[in-house]
Amino acid sequence: MRMTRESLLIATLVELADNLVDEFDVIEVLTMLCNRCVETIDIDAAGVMLASPAGELQYVASSSETMRELELYQIQTDEGPCIDCFNSGESIIDRTLNDAVEQWPRFSVRAVELGFNSVYCLPMRLRGRVIGALNFFRVKAGALDTNDVVLAQGLADVATIAILQHQTSIDARVLNSQLSSALNSRIIIEQAKGMISQATNCDMDVAFSRLRAHARNHNERLTALANAIVGGSVRPQDLDGASPTTKP
Amino acid sequence: MPTERLLNILEMLSREHSDHHSDTLCAVAAELTELSGAGIFLLSGGPQYTKFCSSDDVADKLLDLEITLGEGPGNEACNSGVALHEDDLLFGKYDRWLAYAPAAVAIGARSIFAFPIGIGAIRIGALILYRDRPGPLTERQESDAYLVASVIGRAILETRAGATELDLRGELGLAHSLDFSVHQAAGMVAVQGSLSLDDALVALRSHAFGSGVSMTTMAQSVVRRETSYDPESRRWRGKEARNP
Repeated sequence: MRMTRESLLIATLVELADNLVDEFDVIEVLTMLCNRCVETIDIDAAGVMLASPAGELQYVASSSETMRELELYQIQTDEGPCIDCFNSGESIIDRTLNDAVEQWPRFSVRAVELGFNSVYCLPMRLRGRVIGALNFFRVKAGALDTNDVVLAQGLADVATIAILQHQTSIDARVLNSQLSSALNSRIIIEQAKGMISQATNCDMDVAFSRLRAHARNHNERLTALANAIVGGSVRPQDLDGASPTTKP
Repeated sequence: MPTERLLNILEMLSREHSDHHSDTLCAVAAELTELSGAGIFLLSGGPQYTKFCSSDDVADKLLDLEITLGEGPGNEACNSGVALHEDDLLFGKYDRWLAYAPAAVAIGARSIFAFPIGIGAIRIGALILYRDRPGPLTERQESDAYLVASVIGRAILETRAGATELDLRGELGLAHSLDFSVHQAAGMVAVQGSLSLDDALVALRSHAFGSGVSMTTMAQSVVRRETSYDPESRRWRGKEARNP
């Protein structure tokens, strides 16, 4: 049975609330959020970028490998909707890529090559400071539906709260330390993905799925599991769904 | 974006004339954050720390103190991976470091700030900044300290891989953080060669440097499985990576 949008949305909120009450992993929550955005909003890909305490935008989570590539491309070329949205703090809710060639000469060409026609971006704000941005792409051209914009901003706000974890006071120091931990978690996960990919002979996407699935099955935090892989206390071969290879 | 500040660091690095590359890093850290002084200690395999550099005598003694006592902000930042601020060592809100705090004040520090230096799961050490007066860091100082700790982490690894100051300036000029493919490739090479992650990263950087390509280009070649490290012969094999 296909879930209606309303029931999907309710399920998403319950899932997020569950995560935010218990011990949770910020990368896992943000990855889930990107996936749920794609399911509940009329878009095809979603990604989150966060600003490091040093002020540099960095990729943290996305719904797909294509999205991730586009997020990283924006960082590399220092152009694109996320960069503009972060710098201005303004939402981008109606931008057709074909009309944006002047604004983002390299980025818009790349995004069209990958099959997208429109792009949207919402700032993640906390007490007047923009800490990152939620980025959407769609194959179909045109503006986002008003309800979708409201919903997306709600989800962006939840993502912002997720970054704070269980801190009750949110002064700049605490926020910086959480942002720094979240971004470092993402790097640990990439290092672990490399190890899994090599040891079990799979590509990076599969390595990430295995890491996530194993963490879920065993009720472990994603970053803690990635750390255990890197530290050698969990072998990549022993992850759920990984078949050991004879030749490393 | 921190590009301007990054260029500022690079400019300072080239301006400082020191016989010791490492002391330059500490001098730049102190100058950029406008604090009294800076010191760096590194984890040297196991739980031991070694002094890496200091910008002045007080910073140097603060490092010695932490190494001797085995407690203090640098130890804590390095172990937890989280930055640590003590705005007033004399009347601070924490009762930690019962031995360290009074000794640090006697040496000449009144407030102290420690930032972990590391790349993902690789723990490298800690940057310790001190001031002879109490008081918190401004947001700008804090942001600069994060930036400088990240640049230092990369500089230390690249120096271990044989990069000169000039190479370093060239690479940092492009971006201060490493491409994601570099982290993935380091993980792959660690498994291929049964190396620690930091040794794998250093090996990757050396090989990229020796082949005349950027670390990102080499990492992408590893991720595509066109280049790999053979632990038996201690050699790299595969097709030559080329800069695009």
